[in-house]
This record gives sequence, structure tokens and C-alpha cells, in this order.
Amino acid sequence: MGIYPPSLEKLIEQLSRLPGIGQKSATRVALYVLRSDRDLAEGLAASLLEVKEKIRFCSTCHNLTDDDPCAICRDGRRANGSICVVEGPGDQLALEASGIFKGRYHVLNGVLSPLDGIGPEDLTISHLLRRLEPEGIEEVILATNPTTAGQATASFLAGLLSERHPRITVTRIALGIPMGGDLKYMDQMTIEYALRTRLPVTP
Amino acid sequence: MTLHSSSAIIMRTWEFGESDLMVSFFTPKGGCLKGVAKGARKSRVRFANCLDLLCFTRLEYEQKKEDGLYFLHSGILIHAFPGLRADFSSLSLASYMIELTEILFPVGVAAERMFDLLQGALSALDEEKQIDSFRILFEAKAMTLGGYGIDLSRCCVCGRTYQGEGRALFRRGKGGIACLKCGQESERSPGLGPATVNALNAIQSTSWDTSQALGLSASMIREIKPVLKHHIEYRIGQRLKSAEFLSG
Ligand SMILES: [Zn+2]
Ligand SMILES: [Zn+2]
Repeated sequence: MGIYPPSLEKLIEQLSRLPGIGQKSATRVALYVLRSDRDLAEGLAASLLEVKEKIRFCSTCHNLTDDDPCAICRDGRRANGSICVVEGPGDQLALEASGIFKGRYHVLNGVLSPLDGIGPEDLTISHLLRRLEPEGIEEVILATNPTTAGQATASFLAGLLSERHPRITVTRIALGIPMGGDLKYMDQMTIEYALRTRLPVTP
Repeated sequence: MTLHSSSAIIMRTWEFGESDLMVSFFTPKGGCLKGVAKGARKSRVRFANCLDLLCFTRLEYEQKKEDGLYFLHSGILIHAFPGLRADFSSLSLASYMIELTEILFPVGVAAERMFDLLQGALSALDEEKQIDSFRILFEAKAMTLGGYGIDLSRCCVCGRTYQGEGRALFRRGKGGIACLKCGQESERSPGLGPATVNALNAIQSTSWDTSQALGLSASMIREIKPVLKHHIEYRIGQRLKSAEFLSG
């Protein structure tokens, strides 16, 4: 089927299985690897195996880490009574990069998605509940994405938390017009949300 | 290439390539279609929040060469059914509706009435959390539109016209009901009272709004639920993933 020699076709096929990489990009990457020095291929292959061997999930927050528990879970200064719940390690990184949040995280490893057969049991929700008391959590910040699945997951967690831990404050990251956005290009739901959750301005 | 403009319900999305989104969507004229929204994950301007699961949108698209895929040009969100995002059981039922639609109306089968049903059902579920009765209404109507309506007019064994005299029982192999002279109620052949048969008949033959106004009683729901469960399992031959999150 392929126009390239079998071994090259195989590499293209493997690469195109990666998220965000289509057939075209995979071909480009494969041809680049082929043209480069042997060092590149060896380094790449070694790193791929190394992450599989070394990187694991933190047994407390389920984030990716070299050591278990991860640096944030080990850091006593991060135990400030708040926990920020995110969908995946990428979301945790984005929040951490901002440097604003000083508490701890909990990675759900996905979102509720009945269409794909993913329910509450498939996420790290029960583990989140078990962390709350021992870590003296006073606020849970729900930072799942504002998509259908992310919103449904946040609603589900909010319900569960208010039922099981009524004293804990549950908050949701703000949704609405993004910084640098333009009202003319916003959909009606975003505008409705932005208006409903407007904040008083103090001069 | 003709540019289509149509209302659509977003059924599934997948990340595709570096910044594209693959979308399967249901339209009144074309049924279930698949398309690529170029750059939709980076720039949200052409598709402002309209390619999310279960959104009711207006899409502009044209057919790509011969592979059956479409290019999505732009879209506008009409309604996002926020109620479905606020409750897991509502999301589960909405997902179940999508899954059943995908099976009954595979890619490219035109289905205007199915579109109306899906839209009506999602709107109703968005407003009210009546999981059991909406599930029944949707199942019975969707199966009928898909060509698998339950024959409630006569006994499927002796052929006698059913006129509401006494209970009847469901025969899944025949997709119809039988009179009590021709069989016995059992777990596999659940029974239905005359009022329930009437109600099921009305659900199969009227619009969503009319059926919703019927106001099914709890006992009717209890009787119809196993009938539709057996019927769908027998006709579809598979268990839907989202059914796991619905009770019963
Ligand atoms: Zn950790
Ligand atoms: Zn009979």
C-alpha cells in the first residue's frame, strides 16, 4: 500500500498513532529522522524507553512524576488547605506554569464520558475523596475544561462533595470572555455565562 | 463542490492532526456525517464553541473528494443544552440517545424525522430530568423510525386483532405482542396491561410533544422498560456503552 520502503512505512504508521500527529506530519518527522545523524534516532529511542521505565503516576495526586510522591505532594508549603482538580497532567502543568496557585493538585485522568463508557469509577474520584480529610482540605477548586464533558464532570464532583463533605467550599474556575477576546466572536452561551457571573468593580 | 448549510447536532469529536478536529454530526437532510474542522483546536473564531459534544449548531460544510468526509467551514452555536452538562444522568441518557441514533441511522442515511426526534428529546432533557420516561419515549420512537416498531395491532401467534381486552405479552423474536392464550408472562416475555399497550402505541405513532404530554404513569414505565430493553437488545444485537450508566 505504501509508497515508501516497509521499514519507513512502519515508522510513519507508528508516529501517526500519536495524538495530534496526522499522516502528513508523521511522514515529515520520519523523513527528518531518516536524514539526520544516527545520534538523533538513538537518543529518541532511549528517551522513549526511559520515560516508560521512569515516569510514573504520583500515588497521591496522580500527576506524572519521576519520584513518588511528586515534588508538590512532598512540599509541606503547598499544604495550604486547597486542592485544584484538573483533567490531565497537561492541565496541571498549565496552571503550575502560571505560578498563581499555591496549593496542591488532583489529576482525574480524564473526564466523564458515557459515550466512551467512562464513568466515575474510571477516574481518580474516590482517591480524591480519601485525600480531603487527612490533608485538611477546606477548598476544592474544580478546574476541568468548560466543554460538555468537563462541565458535566465538574457538576458531578460538586454534587458529590456537597453531599459527602458539606463543610468544604467548592469553587469553579471562572468561565467567560477570555483575555484578549472579542465579544463579536463569542457564542451566546459564553456571553450568557460571562454576564451571569459578572463581578463588581471597585475603583 | 456545493456548500451545504444545515442545522446539526454534534455527536462525537476527535482530535485530528496538529490542530484539527474530526467531528461526527447529525443533520436533517444528510443524517450522520463526518467532517474535518481545520484548525478548530487553535482558532476558535470560525467555530465559536459550537463543535462540542451535544451542541445544536448551524454548520457550513462541503464534501471533500470521494472519501465521504466533509470540510467544515464555519459554525454558529444555536443551543448548547446546558442542562445536559449539569447532571451526569442527563448526560448519560443524552449519550445513549446519540449511540442509538448512530446504530439505527449509520453514516449518510437521511433522516429528517430522526433529527427532529433527537432535537426534541435533547431539548426536553435539557429542561427536565425525567430520565426513565424520556428514555422510553426516545427508545420507542427511534426504533419505530429505524424500522423496528413493535407490532401492537394483533397477536403475533394466533393473529387475532388486539382490542385492549386483557393483558398482552411481548415476544422479542417476533417484535410484537401475543395474547395470554398464546403464551405466558415471564422474565423474557414481559407483560403489558391494556392501558400500557395503548400508551406504547401512542408513543410509537405521535410526535415527541404529544407523547410527552401523555404523562406515563409509574406502572406504565415499569411495564414498558423491560419490553424495550429486550426489543433493543434483540434487534440491535449489542449493548450500548452509555447504557451502563443508566439504571435498569
Ligand atoms: Zn503528587
Ligand atoms: Zn394469540
